[in-house]
Amino acid sequence: MAAPGAGAATAPRRAGTTAWGVAVRVAGTVGRRVLMLVVLLALVFAAVELLPGDAASAAAERGESAADLAERRHLLGLDRPLWERFADWMTALPTGDLGTSARGQEVTELLADPLPNTLILAVSALVLTVVLSLLLGCWAATRPHRLADRLVTHTSTAAFAVPEFVVSAALLLVLSLWTGWLPAVTVTGGDGRPTTWTMLIMPVLALAIPQTGWNTRVVRGALADQAATPHVEAAHLDGLPPHQVMLRHQLPGAVPAIATGIATSTGLLFGGAVVVETLFNYPGIGAVLAGAVAARDTPLIAGVVICAGAVISLVLLAADLIRDATLGARA
Amino acid sequence: MGVTRRQLLWAGSGIGAAGFLAACSGGSDDSRNAGSAGADGKPRPGGTLRVGALGHASAITRDPHGTQTNESDYLVIALVFDTLTIPGAKTNTAPRLSASWESSADLKTWKFTIAEGAKFHDGSPVTAEDVVWSLKRLRNTPSGAARLPGIQAKNISAEGTGTVVVVSDYANADFPLMTRFASFVLKKDTEDSAIEKAPGTGPFKLDWYRNGNARLVRNDDWYGPAVHLDAIEVTMFETPQAMANALIGGQIDLASNAGAVAARTAEAREDIQVLRRPDDMAMPIVMRTAEGSPFADERVREAMRLVVDREAMVKQVLSGYGTVANDIMGTGDPDYAGDIPQRERDVAKAKQLLRDADFDFSRTYELVTTEDIAGLADSATLFANQAGDAGIKIEVVKQESGAFWEKTWKAGDFYTTYWGTNDSVVFYASKTMVSEAGQNEAGWQDAGFDAAYREAISTDEPKRRATALTELQQIEHERSGYLLWGMADGIDLAAAKVQDLPKLAGYGRVQLEGVWLS
Repeated sequence: MAAPGAGAATAPRRAGTTAWGVAVRVAGTVGRRVLMLVVLLALVFAAVELLPGDAASAAAERGESAADLAERRHLLGLDRPLWERFADWMTALPTGDLGTSARGQEVTELLADPLPNTLILAVSALVLTVVLSLLLGCWAATRPHRLADRLVTHTSTAAFAVPEFVVSAALLLVLSLWTGWLPAVTVTGGDGRPTTWTMLIMPVLALAIPQTGWNTRVVRGALADQAATPHVEAAHLDGLPPHQVMLRHQLPGAVPAIATGIATSTGLLFGGAVVVETLFNYPGIGAVLAGAVAARDTPLIAGVVICAGAVISLVLLAADLIRDATLGARA
Repeated sequence: MGVTRRQLLWAGSGIGAAGFLAACSGGSDDSRNAGSAGADGKPRPGGTLRVGALGHASAITRDPHGTQTNESDYLVIALVFDTLTIPGAKTNTAPRLSASWESSADLKTWKFTIAEGAKFHDGSPVTAEDVVWSLKRLRNTPSGAARLPGIQAKNISAEGTGTVVVVSDYANADFPLMTRFASFVLKKDTEDSAIEKAPGTGPFKLDWYRNGNARLVRNDDWYGPAVHLDAIEVTMFETPQAMANALIGGQIDLASNAGAVAARTAEAREDIQVLRRPDDMAMPIVMRTAEGSPFADERVREAMRLVVDREAMVKQVLSGYGTVANDIMGTGDPDYAGDIPQRERDVAKAKQLLRDADFDFSRTYELVTTEDIAGLADSATLFANQAGDAGIKIEVVKQESGAFWEKTWKAGDFYTTYWGTNDSVVFYASKTMVSEAGQNEAGWQDAGFDAAYREAISTDEPKRRATALTELQQIEHERSGYLLWGMADGIDLAAAKVQDLPKLAGYGRVQLEGVWLS
């Protein structure tokens, strides 16, 4: 936090450390991310077009004639060129209008409850991941090459290697079907939220366990790199207690790598949410997305992509800023 | 069930199982539970039934006249709104909002009389104008022509306040059958924007609906028989597995249309009832009968029907939850010709027939299928293996659903199809087999069949109709383009306390108004 002040007071440093410079860099990063999202959405529109079948044939009933199908296409606007539909959707976007689903529901309405639900799920899983991986990583790093370190390292590798659906199935079997401790699935109430908070436990664990595995490895690795730096070795030689060396000297240097690792996890968490939400019947956007792709429902798919994309972009931006700030402070 | 329980007792784990069962059904009133589960059990009023039904958040449809692919949405709509008629047990079409109906002698004009005392949930009476407006609205959707076949919007009119007149473009003895699924009645001039909160006339009123889940409360003013439940809570499930887990975990009381896989898991449990609704789904193989098709020769079609091992198909494709069929569509019809001898597997005879017909054994035939419903693609694969026993080479081609319905359906030589309406022989005859049928899947043209069909639908005299229907089914059994190897059961799973669950196939699964909790 002292970085900009310190930078301004001393020599001409990197542009990124002045307040104005930070603003320019943030604007540039945001601009790049927005551009990336637009490109991504264009790809989504094009990709759905390439899939066999379309929203009209997916929603049609048996017995509809070619004329009925054509009418359906017209109602959905599918008889217009792809770029025109994309342009329409994009120009409506700034007003918060995400279009209409192939079944005539407002996309914003279809996502209004699922998006916050997924955010609750993903943020809880992310927080748990960060806390667990920092604790495990630091604990292992203070005991290099000892039993605890090896145990943490191997377990975390194994945890990361297990797909979410296997973790989910194991959790479901043990925590619900055998013991009856937790509700097996999420039942949603009239407020659009799970009826009890305990319904969140298994989905959060299913998402957090593999990501904790990955991030523990990142934390442990970054701390090992830091342990080899001269200032950490010096701190050890000065006779500082290990936990103080860890918190004051080793960990700050490892923050950029850890922040990047966690930012990467955000994307993976959203990906995992598609699987986990379906298995636990959790009412989030992952479940919406899975069905929307099957129905070739472009506006709905694009709606999910823009929401998830915006969230992931914000997290990546935050990670960039943290990295810049910490690197700036130490440059 | 008895055997399972004895085995359990014998194994010494019976006490635990019985204890669990008692805990599930509310403990102290266990004895009453046992009594009321019997045949003379009197319905007990009250309670909330928690139902699980399949659906996707992306496919939510609130419009009663929309295309509801979500069973959860259809269930909610069917309990809040009424159709003119519903599927029945003794006759395939039973009264609902329409108390009775009659046709003109030429079977083109149909008059429906609205049930006495029918009211919308806001208290206003149902008039013929409301019904006319609703039917016209249905007809003007993209699916309208398919849902009200042969009816133009302008030919739907009111006669007084209590009668609706519908004039068909052609004679149609089974038009009332077509009003069972989608003829939901709303108040006249309901705006599209008000559809989601529009009052219905059904046994339950909407308390709330959100993202596929809903709570319904009993409509005390319903014109139909007494409704016992206080409320029904509907939870939407993306997968049958999650739905079965919810039932096992006690989060729901009924898993509607859970399917064979879930049933197999639940079968071992004492605390769960597995309810089979026979004749739920037909998954026939279609062989194109028109010139140029390898199946144009009826001896080839006969051979295909002889080569299939029906018992094995039912056992493996349907996990045993089904029955063997006899190549006649509409197996649930009270008029189904059960006395026509069952066709059995006869590979030698099949080979002989194929040789007689100069069948090309060197060629590999493509059997096109989809993964639209569970077991469909498996049925194609298993059949291809069985046909191999007669030297017939079949390659199964899986097609994406949209492409299948647009390109292969009604046009391909050899493909699988499926139908969920199986309680009417005439329904199939008129829709898929008579020469001019709009959905003649096999392109079948058979003068004898056409004559029998016309005889059957043009007469009101029971004996003549019965004779014609038997003739029609005999011809269908002998030479149509269908190979119908079996019928899948509809399978509901329920907690032990749920009584009088739906017994009918297909859309009959939504008839929950008679359910009660012991």
